[in-house]
This record gives sequence, structure tokens and C-alpha cells, in this order.
Amino acid sequence: MKNETQPLGPKKVTGVAVVRPQRSASVQTYIPEIAKGLGITMKHFFQNTKEMVLGQRNDPVLEGIEDGINCISYPEQKRPYPARFRGVHRLTQRDDGSPRCVACLCCSTACPAQCIHIEAGEYPEGDPRRGYERFPQRFVIDELRCIFCGFCVEACPCDAIRMDTGVHAAPYDSREQFIFEKDVLMGFPGRDGSHLTANPRHEPGESSHPGLDREKH
Amino acid sequence: MPLTLLSFLLFFIKAFVVVMFAMNVAVVLTWVDRRQGAMIQDRIGPNRAVAWIPTTVAQALAVLPALAVAAGVFFVVLKLEPPPEVRGQRAMLFSQLGILFTWLTGVVIAGRVQNRGVLSSFDAWIYSLGDPRRIFFAGLFAHFVALFVGLTLNDSAFGEQVRDIGYGGGAGLLIFSILAGAGYAAFSIRNEPRIGLRLAGLLHPAADGLKTIFKEDFIPPEADKFLHSLAPFISFFPALVVMAVIPFGDTLCFGLKDGQLSTLMSFVPRDGVCVEGAVKLQVVDLDVGLLYFFALAGTGIVGAALAGWRSNNKYSLLGGVRAASQMVSYEVTMGLTLVGAVMVYGSLRVDKMIEWQQQHAWGIFVQPAAFFLFFTASVAESKRIPFDIPEGESEIVAGYFTEYAGMKFAMFFFAEYIAVVTSAGLMSAIFLGGWDLPFLYRDGLHVAIGDTVLFDQLLPHVLVIVVGALGFVLKTLTLCWLQLMIRWTLPRFRYDQLMRLGWRKLLPASLGNVLATGLIVLAIASAGPGVGKFMDLLADYTKALVALAGIGGFIAFVVFLVKPVHKRKTLSSSSAQFAAAAGGTRSVRMGA
Repeated sequence: MKNETQPLGPKKVTGVAVVRPQRSASVQTYIPEIAKGLGITMKHFFQNTKEMVLGQRNDPVLEGIEDGINCISYPEQKRPYPARFRGVHRLTQRDDGSPRCVACLCCSTACPAQCIHIEAGEYPEGDPRRGYERFPQRFVIDELRCIFCGFCVEACPCDAIRMDTGVHAAPYDSREQFIFEKDVLMGFPGRDGSHLTANPRHEPGESSHPGLDREKH
Repeated sequence: MPLTLLSFLLFFIKAFVVVMFAMNVAVVLTWVDRRQGAMIQDRIGPNRAVAWIPTTVAQALAVLPALAVAAGVFFVVLKLEPPPEVRGQRAMLFSQLGILFTWLTGVVIAGRVQNRGVLSSFDAWIYSLGDPRRIFFAGLFAHFVALFVGLTLNDSAFGEQVRDIGYGGGAGLLIFSILAGAGYAAFSIRNEPRIGLRLAGLLHPAADGLKTIFKEDFIPPEADKFLHSLAPFISFFPALVVMAVIPFGDTLCFGLKDGQLSTLMSFVPRDGVCVEGAVKLQVVDLDVGLLYFFALAGTGIVGAALAGWRSNNKYSLLGGVRAASQMVSYEVTMGLTLVGAVMVYGSLRVDKMIEWQQQHAWGIFVQPAAFFLFFTASVAESKRIPFDIPEGESEIVAGYFTEYAGMKFAMFFFAEYIAVVTSAGLMSAIFLGGWDLPFLYRDGLHVAIGDTVLFDQLLPHVLVIVVGALGFVLKTLTLCWLQLMIRWTLPRFRYDQLMRLGWRKLLPASLGNVLATGLIVLAIASAGPGVGKFMDLLADYTKALVALAGIGGFIAFVVFLVKPVHKRKTLSSSSAQFAAAAGGTRSVRMGA
């Protein structure tokens, strides 16, 4: 495009000029503004000190919407984790206290960190479950390797592994302590205090059991 | 007074008290600066330093002092029979104290139960009384009833009986509430394995002090070892000894026995300080007074400049140069502002200034501009925010104490806080009347405006002195607090702004103040006696103003304390629902 329409010389300024801030006398003398600032400081000072001393401070979780001190003195005070928080794993139990896990290795296969180690065991001859499912002889999770992605929970077909304990992995002082064996994992209750899960289990032989019934076929 | 063993002893006691006052207040100020500085930003601040003590020791710490106080009250009531003329006053005192301690104990226990939850059947009973404010209002009502009964009593036999009931009952209530409060505290911690002593975070500065003592005392290899080590002392010492000329109470009058001081006089006349047997509550009684202050405040500059120069560090040198130029600049303003005050008071002695203020009006009414200028200049003189350019960490690392570690650094740090205390003490002496409280004279309380006497009450000498000294401490602490407030509010100035403020604004203003003061002093002196009488009346009004402001402030404070708080709860998140099911996250206590 040719520069014909624009005349020589400085370009004409278009647009609206920015209005200079109208600084009043009180702003320019600085002192009333200092007094105002001190007033705000004092308001916070008195209010927060009073609430702290008289034990009226906000509950940092329940009343966090209010002005005032909303700090949490961790670890004496803890903010409860939300319902979907992925905490330390637990192995859910059947009604008889044995693990629901059938040692299908879905979780250890899905695990991107490869922190789950399962040694499957076969039920003895004559047990109705023999041939239908197996059980974990060892179920080990290295909580230090775990990235808490929750894929194992997604992969599990039996609702046997869950991360709904609501506690995060504790800071131990040696690596061995982060290796959680089966009995440790089964020892954690869920957020509701139960070692079971809400999903019903269908034993082999029951009419609701979704698998094949070998006696019939 | 001739130099005797006693005068030496008194000197050391006074010096000890003053040094302890300045240093302890400075320590508390470091705590206030961190803890309360966090409060204004809606944070909690450092409160984690803790000393664990066994539960039995904690119980003993709660119960034994209470037992001692209760025994003292019991002794006073049983053994020291009051003379008949003060029996009514004593009965009033004890009944009011008893009521005060009773409702105070009740409110504290009820508040704790509300926060912590019911643990015993007593807790359940006090919880059933409802809001702790009800106990407060009941106590207030009882105060007024006792006051009313006491004032309307006549000297009949029935009145005597009521007086005796008030005397004995009040003392009994006092003893009971002290013991009950301590007993409840000891009882409620019985199941704790150990008790953490935190003193609201006050152990933090103590822990910091201990840490700095044991830290490595690093001296840069190229630095001048002697002068580098000397600088913190030169900085620290003048800040501390300035307090020597500031009186922290009115003159004590002792009776004389064989030319030696004996017991304290019980009542003194209003005018004229006792000639013999006078003990001034002032470490040294110097004629030069204020000049001593300026001489020593000037010496403090040397410490900062020396530290910057002998650290062999360019940042330190810059900081030292900045400190020197800033402090010299603002000292000019400090000196000139006080010239006006010296012209009005007619003396350089700080005790004479306070006496003038007691007889007339406080310096802040006589020299308002000087107070403002002096306050600004003394904040700048103590090198604190917004004037902390010598240590501006965004520009020159840490300024003149960059190369200091451990206790030597702590001495610079500490000197700053002591300078805050001493300048606040000096300001309260020169501008806020020192130990003078409105209408409180040497012989008692006389509320009078002009020639109208509103209230007249003789008070014991020792009570007047103690109340005055407490007033001085309160004023000093308030001014310290105001300086910290400014630190928490204002950002740092630029160096050129600082110099411009000092030389172009404050200095001409202080010169103008001197001129105006001189003209007004001359005008009043040459005017007739009518003007002088009018000025005296105005002075009485300023006293009434201060007294009313004090009472109003106290009432406003109480109203502020009992004002109910309403907090909105939100249960929108699942974590909030878990918290609500667990009874809230606030009640989890620190400790154990």
C-alpha cells in the first residue's frame, strides 16, 4: 500500500487521551492517606487478635468464606480430603474377612509405575471356588513408586482395590517401610470405617454370579 | 544527697530496672513485630516454639501461685483490721474485686468449654448457662448493684452490717474465684500426658536469642577484626543508655530518721516536692537532660557507619554511608523540633518538662506539630520501615550488617528495637506527660475545670506513684506499637525521597515550628493575666479531653470485645462435609 494518504511530518495522534489521575490534596500531602492505611491495618490487627485470643477465629474449612485468619496449623490441624481423594490403597474384604482380590493381575498390568506385585495362589482341591478364581498369596504395593493415578482402581473387576482411605502415605524414614504387604493393605478401612465395599459380591454357584456355570455346561 | 552506700545501691537498682525494661520490651517487640505483623495479614505467625513440662508441674504452676494470692488476701482480711474511716472504702474494694474475679473466671471457663467441648459434668452445667456474654453482663450488673449499695449506705447499724458483709463476702468471693479458676485449670489438664508451654509464641524470640548465641561468629578475612567486632557494641550501647535521663515515675518521698531514709511517706502534699528524703525515679539526674539524649543518639551513627566501613564489603559500605547520612539528616530535625518544646517548658531536664505538663497541659496539645515531626524523625532515626534504606535488602543485600552473623548481628537487630523503646519513652515523657495522668496529682485525684471542682479524693502516695509509673509504661508501649503499626503499613521510601523529605519538608517545618512557638510564647507572656487564666482553663479542658478519650476508648474496647460474631458456614465441598461431620477443624488443639 502506498503512503499517499498520509502527509509528511509527525503522525497525527488518534484516540482518546488518557486522563491524568486527579490527585486530591489529601493524596498529595500523603498524611491523610497514611492515616487511612493505618486505620485498615488496625482494623485487621484488632479483629484478628481478638478472634485469635478469644477462640472465635474462623473454622478454616467450614467458615473459610469469612474475613479473618483462615490458616491451617498443619499438622496439628488438617483439612479433610475431598471424597474422591486418592489416598493410600486398601484391599477390600469379603464377608468372611478374606480379600476380594482374585489375583487377576489387571491392576499390576494397568499400573504405569509398576509398583504392584502379586503372587497368585490356587484354591485347594474340593473348594467350590477352585477353577473359578484364584487368590493373592502375596499382594505388595510399593507406595514410594506409586504415582496415585488410580488406574489400578479403574482396572479392578472385583472392586478389590480402592484408594478411598482418605489418608495420604505417611512419611517414613526408610524405603522398606513403604512396601505395603497384603495384611497392611487389608488393615486400612475405607472413609466410612468399613473394610467391605458397597458393591455386592456374587459368589460362584449363586444364581446372580455372572460367570459361566461349569456344572451346567 | 551525698554519695553514700544507699545512693549507690539505689542507682544500681534504678539502672537495672531501666535496662531490664528496655531490653525486655525490645524482646517482646520482636515477638509483636512477627506475630501481630502476621495478624494484620490474616496469618497466625510464628507460634511453634514450645517447652514441654510434665502435667504435675503444670498443675503446680497453676495452683501454687493461686494459693499464695489467696493466702495473702486471707491474711490481709484477717490480720490487718482497717481503721474505721476507710472501712467503707475497703469493703467496696473487696466486693468489687470479688465480683470482678468471679465473673472473669466464669467467662474464661465458659469460653474454653464452648471452644473445646464439654468434658465433665461441671462443663455441662456451665455450658447450659449459654453464651459466656451472659456471665459478663451478670457481673456488670453485680458491679453496679454493689456500687449503688455502697454509695447509698449511711452510718446506721444496718449500714455497718451490710459493710461487714461486703467486706467479708467480697474477700471470700475473691479467694474462692481465684482458687476455683486455678483448680479448674489443674483439673481439666489431668489426663494430658504433658503440657506444651508456648506463651502465645513468646518463646520464639527466646529460642532465636539462644540460637544466635551459639551460631558461628564469622568475621570476613579481609575485615578489620577489632573495629568489625566493636561496631555492634557502639550501636547497641547508646540505644540502651539513653533511657537513663527519662524518669519513669514521680519523685518518691521517704521519711527521714537520723538523717537516713526510713519508711515511705503515706501521704504527701500536692505542691512542692519533698526536699529531704526524695528519691527520683530516674537513673541519672542530669541538668543537660535532652542534650545527653542527642549526644548518645549521635554516637549510634558511628556504630552503623563503622560496621559498613570495616566489613570490607561494598554493599556494607553503601549501607554504612546511607545510615550515616540518613541519621545525621534526621538528627537535625529531631533537635530543631525539640527546641520549640524546650522554649515552652523552659528547661532541658526531662523531669522538669513532665512537671510543667502536669501543671499545664500535655506537650502534644502545646506542640502538636513538634510531636508529629519528632515522631517521623525518630522512626527515621531508628532506621526502620519506611525509612530502612541503610539495610534495603532489595538493593544492597542487608546494608551495613551484611557481613555480620550470630550474636553480633542480633545486637544490631536488637539495638533497633531498643531504639524504638527509648524513643517511645522519650516521646511519652516530652509530649504525652510521662508519668502524669489527667487530674492525678501528688496527693490524689482532683478533677477540676478552672475553679469548678468536680471531684476530690486523697490517695496514698505509693498508689499515686505506682499508677503514674504504669501510665508511663502504657504510653511508652502504645507509642512502640504505633511505630510497629507504621512498619506494617507503609512501603519503603526511595533514597532521594528520604533525603528530600528530611531536608526540604521536615527541616523547614521544624524551623517554622520554632518561629511560631517563639512568637506565641512571647505573645502570651506579654499579654495580661486574663490570657494566662484563659490558657490555664484551656489546659484543664485538654486534661478532661484526655480523660474522656481514655474512658471512651476503654468502653469502646469492652464493647468491641463482647460484640457477637456471626460466621457463615459453607458446606459446598465434600471436604467441608467431612469436616462438619468431624465437628469442625478448628477444635483440634496444638500440643500433646
